[in-house]
Amino acid sequence: MPASSPRLLRGAINGQRLLAEVASNAAGANVLFLGTTRGVTDGVATQALEYEAHEPMAVAALETLRNEAMERFGLLGCRIEHRLGVVAVGEASVAIATSAAHRREAFAAAEWLMEKIKANVPIWKCELGPDGGRGWVHPDAMPGGFP
Amino acid sequence: MTIHPPAATPPPLSPTHQLRVKLFAGLAAAASTRLLELPWGGGTAAELKAAVAAAVPAAAALVSSSGVAVGNQYIAPDATIPPEADVALIPPVSGG
Repeated sequence: MPASSPRLLRGAINGQRLLAEVASNAAGANVLFLGTTRGVTDGVATQALEYEAHEPMAVAALETLRNEAMERFGLLGCRIEHRLGVVAVGEASVAIATSAAHRREAFAAAEWLMEKIKANVPIWKCELGPDGGRGWVHPDAMPGGFP
Repeated sequence: MTIHPPAATPPPLSPTHQLRVKLFAGLAAAASTRLLELPWGGGTAAELKAAVAAAVPAAAALVSSSGVAVGNQYIAPDATIPPEADVALIPPVSGG
């Protein structure tokens, strides 16, 4: 698997390393997006989030999205990482680093990738409450539909 | 001299053949297992979803909104699932 391939990992995300990996002298814009665990959602406290995935399908879907983003936005580099397991409040659960000649493409690619990840990639989050409660989050329908 | 009889023809699969279905997230929580075994004589993805919903009534609504994957590829509702397939039920996702 190429070093640039997306990864699912159980340890902390190192955003600075991802930025360094997409850097190049041809780039004039380098964007790092970190999605972090929010402590309160709609007035309800969250202790942490727990993530799981259908790992082979999730990695394949992320790789497809990365390749499409590289082409669609003319990126010079792109790295994607998503955590599995428990992610405490304030920690990053997902990271996207993009580099491009100009900022518009780098920003647009990071946002497009996040939308696609949330819509299509088989990863799920479970809300862990301060009282020990657990609840898996599922939209009423597959956000991006099934192919 | 040893006489080797021809290999016996395997018997047809009985309706009680067990299909193993991988479950995730809320589906696994509702079923209290990540690997649901179902009697399976063959059928479509839609029929598999009906069988899982019958086996785990608490997850019926979530099963209804789930996709079916065989060998890590989504299949259409009318696609046939062979008895030895590597099957997963994919509920609506919530990553990120």
